[in-house]
Amino acid sequence: MPPDQQVGLDDAQLVARSLKQDHEAFGQLIDRHASTIVNLAYRMVGNRAEAEDLAQEAFLTAFKALSTFRADSKFSTWLYRIGVNKCKDWLRAKKPGKGPADLDADEALDSHVAEMRTPERLLSQQQVAHELEKAIARLPPLYREAFVLKHVEGLSYEEMEEILGVNSDTLKMRVYKGRLQLSRDLVALRPTG
Amino acid sequence: MDEHELLLQRFLDHDLTPEERVRFLQAIDTEPELRRQWLNLEMVVAEAVALPKVVPSPKFFSELKNKLEPRSPTWWERLWATVTAPRTLEWNLAGAVAAACIAIVSVVGVFAVIPPRVVEIPAPTGPAQTIAAHMEQVEPKVFVRLILLQPDAHSVSVAGDFNGWNPARTPLERSDGGMWTATIPLHPGRYQYMFVIDGKEWIADPLADEKTTDGFGAHNAVLDVAI
Repeated sequence: MPPDQQVGLDDAQLVARSLKQDHEAFGQLIDRHASTIVNLAYRMVGNRAEAEDLAQEAFLTAFKALSTFRADSKFSTWLYRIGVNKCKDWLRAKKPGKGPADLDADEALDSHVAEMRTPERLLSQQQVAHELEKAIARLPPLYREAFVLKHVEGLSYEEMEEILGVNSDTLKMRVYKGRLQLSRDLVALRPTG
Repeated sequence: MDEHELLLQRFLDHDLTPEERVRFLQAIDTEPELRRQWLNLEMVVAEAVALPKVVPSPKFFSELKNKLEPRSPTWWERLWATVTAPRTLEWNLAGAVAAACIAIVSVVGVFAVIPPRVVEIPAPTGPAQTIAAHMEQVEPKVFVRLILLQPDAHSVSVAGDFNGWNPARTPLERSDGGMWTATIPLHPGRYQYMFVIDGKEWIADPLADEKTTDGFGAHNAVLDVAI
């Protein structure tokens, strides 16, 4: 089937075609989800070149493992899971056992969020975005992935459960704590009025 | 996490019952600190949604699709794939019978055209060259070639222990240069023999390594056959 006719196909149909060695169909899936996975990786690792490399790895892994994909879940959810795991592997290799950045340091945040910052200056919208990006990059990875999936990617907790394999109560707590730290980081940069 | 924080977290996640929601809204109305905290958290979400999106570079797409492009297999991979590809053999009785007949005829034909296996073994210099052949597993025989140079003879035969001293049973054949030869199969053992020229002249093999008296004043050639 010509690529222009594949544009109208949904993910499940493109997956089915990809399994029949239709590389154009998988190319369509890449075009459709590349931005999401690259942005997810960028928010997780904070480096654009690394983010693109990790996103490429995620797509290649997905392509090789396509026969194991179960049609009862969404392709995007499955792809998210692969992308998140690639980012976690990268973070583990990059920062093994470094306190709050450690993937397993789930509860190491409270002391950090309590640290209030004093500089007070008026920030432009662009500066706020930049500061928020930096603050997200400082979050412990478990809070970072939960916050990014929920509030940057806009996923539901049900989708996040499927992607991360963690129950929604735990995810809600991680999202809240991440959000709390970010709010304090941003408040610290705003004028007290 | 205190009660207010828990309420705040559940409010943000839309987990509150209508009654709890009312209670939370009353609380933020009366508690400035809680209200500020709530507003700050809402602000984070608003800012996060507005974060600029990263656009994947053209290089990202070209590299990735390049990596996914199927490479053409080498001739060896194609050959291997051809010979290892599972195939379904369809057959019927007539075809199977025909194939069996062809196989049987082929095997019989091959055995028919294969010459008997002859293995030469070293033999001592002498009147006879021996060629061993494993004719049977139980009683091995050795082909012995007898040679006599008699250019003027019209016929030559051999008589000995192996043919009951009857020269008519074992004639020699003439070849170029007046050479007469015969190849006879013999079990390993010791034999006496003589050549008979033109049916009347009996002579011992002049090339024999060993001769023995025949008890009548003449000598027989002696042939030792061994494997």
